[in-house]
Amino acid sequence: MTTIASSPAATAAPRRARRYMDRKSLVPLLLFIPPALILFVTLVVLPMIDAASFSFFDWTGYGPMTDFVGFENYDDVLSHRHFGTAVRNSLLVIAVSLLVQLPLAMWVSLALVEKRWSVNVLRTLFFLPYMLAEIAAGLIWKFVYDGNYGVLPTIGDAIGVDMPFVLGDRVWVMPAIMLVIVWKYFGFHMMIYIAGLQSIPSEVIEAARLDGVKKWQIVRHIKLPMIWGSIVISVFFSIIGALQLFDLVIPLSNGGPNNSSHTIVTFLYQFGILRMKLGFGGAVSVMLFIACVVITVIYRRLLFAREAD
Amino acid sequence: MKKLALAAMLSVAAIFPAAAQETIDWMHIASIPEEVALMEAAVAEYEAANPGIDINMQFLENEAFKAKLTTLLQSDAAPDIFYSWGGGVLTEQAAAGVLRPVEDLVDPAVAEALGSGGMSAFTRDGHVYGLPQQVSEVVLWYNKELFEEAGVDPASLETWDGFLAAVQTFKDAGITPLAVGAKDKWPAHFWWSKLVVRLAGQDAFEAARKGENGGFTAEPFVRAGEMFLELAALEPFQEGFLAASYGDASGYFGDGKAAMHLMGDWDYGAMKDNSASKEGIPDDQLGILPFPTIEGGAGDPSDTLGGINGWLFHRSAPDAAVDFMEWYTSAEVASRFGNAGFFIPIAEGAADEMTNPFKTQIAQSINNAHWHAIFFDQELGPQVGGVVNDISAELAGNALSAEEAAELVEEAAADIR
Repeated sequence: MTTIASSPAATAAPRRARRYMDRKSLVPLLLFIPPALILFVTLVVLPMIDAASFSFFDWTGYGPMTDFVGFENYDDVLSHRHFGTAVRNSLLVIAVSLLVQLPLAMWVSLALVEKRWSVNVLRTLFFLPYMLAEIAAGLIWKFVYDGNYGVLPTIGDAIGVDMPFVLGDRVWVMPAIMLVIVWKYFGFHMMIYIAGLQSIPSEVIEAARLDGVKKWQIVRHIKLPMIWGSIVISVFFSIIGALQLFDLVIPLSNGGPNNSSHTIVTFLYQFGILRMKLGFGGAVSVMLFIACVVITVIYRRLLFAREAD
Repeated sequence: MKKLALAAMLSVAAIFPAAAQETIDWMHIASIPEEVALMEAAVAEYEAANPGIDINMQFLENEAFKAKLTTLLQSDAAPDIFYSWGGGVLTEQAAAGVLRPVEDLVDPAVAEALGSGGMSAFTRDGHVYGLPQQVSEVVLWYNKELFEEAGVDPASLETWDGFLAAVQTFKDAGITPLAVGAKDKWPAHFWWSKLVVRLAGQDAFEAARKGENGGFTAEPFVRAGEMFLELAALEPFQEGFLAASYGDASGYFGDGKAAMHLMGDWDYGAMKDNSASKEGIPDDQLGILPFPTIEGGAGDPSDTLGGINGWLFHRSAPDAAVDFMEWYTSAEVASRFGNAGFFIPIAEGAADEMTNPFKTQIAQSINNAHWHAIFFDQELGPQVGGVVNDISAELAGNALSAEEAAELVEEAAADIR
């Protein structure tokens, strides 16, 4: 579901089929496709089919599945009192990713596109959080937020403000998690944009400047349209990444306090896997999968199509 | 992560090859370095006495252990011997056939020394799947220094009303009355469980389990929620308790920042290990209180809540694994841990030489108990137990009504009846 190559135009299909028949391209095809295909099938397709089959059974994870329950698990998920919270939180993460993280990444990348050593240092600095393992990042921020020994209360003391225990507070926990998400991933999107910006021929910008086009207008009418492809991809990564958010939340809040900071995947883990209700978990994962597929299809129709034009 | 877990499950159907006779994989959750050192010494001793046997110790942290076990036991990487709290999880494991019945291998003398109560905790449908090693009890640990500072007499906490009054006195004195690690949820469930033990007692609990008298929506269970909320309304817990793990709360108490901590006897060591100084509260400042009694409660005042923990054998475990465990749970070895204050051994005579006054006192109270209730989140199994943990953390945070809490537990219990 993360294959993002644009679909071939309908007219190209027969031509392409003929080309595959060609002996010359058949050999590399037979040589290079199987390893990827085997990995994809065993690690992606089969587990997916497996999860889908769990979802129709009442199953603890031990022994064979015998108790067929039809769509009961789906019903249980939809009527679960924390599922709504999880969906709402996941949508909130998508919104913040798109409305805060990406504009921030764009802004920074526009400032850091030039090739100078000082710029390189800053770029590396902004990219570092992305290279950090999610669990490590989560633990670091758990310490930052810790109300007893953390960095946040120390800052609060210094300026004379009583800081809340953000991770134990139903109101503050999601903003706190989202701050970490933005911090962790904006560098990645910044890099995508920088790569895009660097591929814009300097002559184009030069020419615009000579014509007296203002800086903002250059960004608005030249740079942004010319890196449209990068933007489309980064938006796509943001949405799918937000829907699959898991490993930052677990060390930070573990879905708490009182199950108020679950995302769809931590919900699946907590109420499906840890409770040994794998059918229930399977149902969540099937729904998440369908949501991802639907978003991908719509997104491709809307945006990748526009890019192809 | 998710995909990996699912991929791992694919290997479920794989047939287990007979494990090599020489190596025994032993998975434990002990994290206190001194305790692990004792375990390692025992392993070395056994290996020296039994040439050709290699015991491979594997460690998983408590929460990770619970999360991974289901998949692990059905994979090729399953340990031969692993830690268990018994209860509903053991029932599921036994029913699924991932365990090895060992009743024919266990020496009757060993079974007798471990006691019928302990053995039955690891027996299902006449099959013995493991050996008990230790008993534990949840008690109200308290800090004598803070009690003196606030002018609270420990004896006044004998009743629930006295307890609530003491909590208020601590609040007024600016001392945190209680530490709890509600992020992990199970520490909060001790409060609900202890209230249920006091209010419902064994008979009503067993009846509720079977769904009689409205199951878990029966009066004592709703009342337990109400009393928990009465306590929560006083805001007795440390600031940020909903974000605190068990380790955080244990350290908070160990650092002398909270007056009381409702926790198992293992907190004696953990409280030291989790404290900033690694020293914790000195023995002469530390005390144990029984859980307050409640007027009109159906429970026997001697009832305790805790566990009978031990070791289970995976179906691929070799005979030597049972032999090793017979020796390891025996009074000879288990008493070393008891004497060092890590846990209370169950083997006959093993606890006799314990010098730790707290452990001795707890061992006594378990012995005298009319009903030693097993941790509800283990006893009721992961599905119902998980909900009990959920509602307990929510009640502690005053985020749920007592009726709703009772209904949620009943809903989960009805689901598996």
